[in-house]
Amino acid sequence: MFKLSPKLSQKIFYALLFMATLLVITPAAIIIYIIIKNGASAITWEFLTSMPKDGMRGGGIFPAIVGTLCIVLCAISLTLPIGVCAAIYLNEYAKDNLLTRIIKLAIVNLAGVPSVVYGLFGLGIFVMFMNFGVSIIAGALTLSIMELPVIITTARGALSGVPHSFREASMSLGVSRWQTIRHIVLPNALPGILTGAILSIARISGETAPILFTAAAFYVPHMPTSIYDQVMALPYHLYIISTQIPNMPKNIIFGTALVLLMMVLSMSLIAIVARIYFRKTRKW
Amino acid sequence: MVKIMEKIDKIKVENLSCFYGGKLALEALNINVVKNEILTIIGPANSGKTSFLRTLNRMNDFDANYARKGAVYLDDENIFYMNPEKLRKRVGMLFAMPIPLPMSIYENIVYAPKRLGLVSKKSDMDDIVKEALQEASLWNEVKDRLNSSAMKMSGGQQQRLCIARILAIKPEVILFDEPSSGLDPISTAKVEESMIELKKKYTIVLVTNNVKQASRVGDRTAFFLMGKLIEVGKTGEIFVSPKEKQTGDYITGRFG
Repeated sequence: MFKLSPKLSQKIFYALLFMATLLVITPAAIIIYIIIKNGASAITWEFLTSMPKDGMRGGGIFPAIVGTLCIVLCAISLTLPIGVCAAIYLNEYAKDNLLTRIIKLAIVNLAGVPSVVYGLFGLGIFVMFMNFGVSIIAGALTLSIMELPVIITTARGALSGVPHSFREASMSLGVSRWQTIRHIVLPNALPGILTGAILSIARISGETAPILFTAAAFYVPHMPTSIYDQVMALPYHLYIISTQIPNMPKNIIFGTALVLLMMVLSMSLIAIVARIYFRKTRKW
Repeated sequence: MVKIMEKIDKIKVENLSCFYGGKLALEALNINVVKNEILTIIGPANSGKTSFLRTLNRMNDFDANYARKGAVYLDDENIFYMNPEKLRKRVGMLFAMPIPLPMSIYENIVYAPKRLGLVSKKSDMDDIVKEALQEASLWNEVKDRLNSSAMKMSGGQQQRLCIARILAIKPEVILFDEPSSGLDPISTAKVEESMIELKKKYTIVLVTNNVKQASRVGDRTAFFLMGKLIEVGKTGEIFVSPKEKQTGDYITGRFG
């Protein structure tokens, strides 16, 4: 066996590690390039604000954008309060016992369930058993259950980020645990919780399988008027126009993908900017 | 005639033992703290002095591994049967490292009084802030920047702010847990000065790693070793003629 000199092995592994990193950004760059190249020509004001025409082959994707926003906002407003409460309980109150360990295990498992299983679960429970039908509320509930473990985990991370000494200082003054959480822990954890929530919104905007059976419709000729309406949704619409409709103009397919991508990326960007801002204004 | 220096026991400790995860940290301790004195506790690491201190305002209760036996009386009331929040309002604690809360100097001081419902009017809050800062000899340094962040103060100022924060809830006893381990000598001197000033109104228990600090500020000194109280007595006597050999060895720096 031959032995590499330390200097050479350092160079080789540096190059290897750098290549691996480079490899990570290539698909992202290629995806964005292809979608913009093929889809940019479709993006007009009319495309964003009008109904589909000619069996989806023309017109716009307005109802799909509105539908996705409805489902996602409904889902996050359900999952955020519950997730934050659970995170506070687990992080601030729960003792390390069997129950707590079972809860934590359940959260980890919930995060590992495939999204299509959530879709079937939502179909069984919300659409059929609870009789919501295929509707915004059924889709939102399904997505909120799917996102719950992520919200709990990020919120717990944000809560743990607040130094333990702040809690001790507050409670050593006779301030109760809840008041300490309410006035010291939560205000300082809020930025982290909010950025986590924005990233969650971005993530569930693109989910297809959970809304496939629970909320999304092939075509709805009018805007939703209540949470019991079914809606068109961007990811499902994209799936339909790319696989189910013959002679679909390519630029509309890629244009739809571009809109979805921009929605998700802009939300991630907001989260990143917010995180940088909060890190700068952080007081400790 | 009124007896000015009447010796009343503020705190009485009876057969107190503390455990961490089943391991004995403090063994069958009997000690008293006289009203308006500074009782200093010296001893090497793992001597149980901080365990003792954190038992006095039940800050150890948050530690799931912690267990205790025995009784501690504050004005003849067993603290283990008291509401811990009410106890901590009466028995304040200053930590080794200054821990200002991430808010303004003003907010730091009114934080606890507000939460405990002691004040609601703005003018009362202003009074509390001024009074507490004056008592902690910090007022002159910060009176013009009460609304700036407490995190921007120097370490010594932060520690005095923490004292002011305790004074704002008008406690009866103040526990100092090695309050100058993170401070330079000048800041330490200022904290010690305020301690001597404070004992006129409060009863003070000071845990310190610094034997000289004990000799400077303590009325009485207790020496802990391996979870046991070896000796307690007037500071002058302990330092000049300790009864136990171990005490003498520790004070003169032969170990620890």
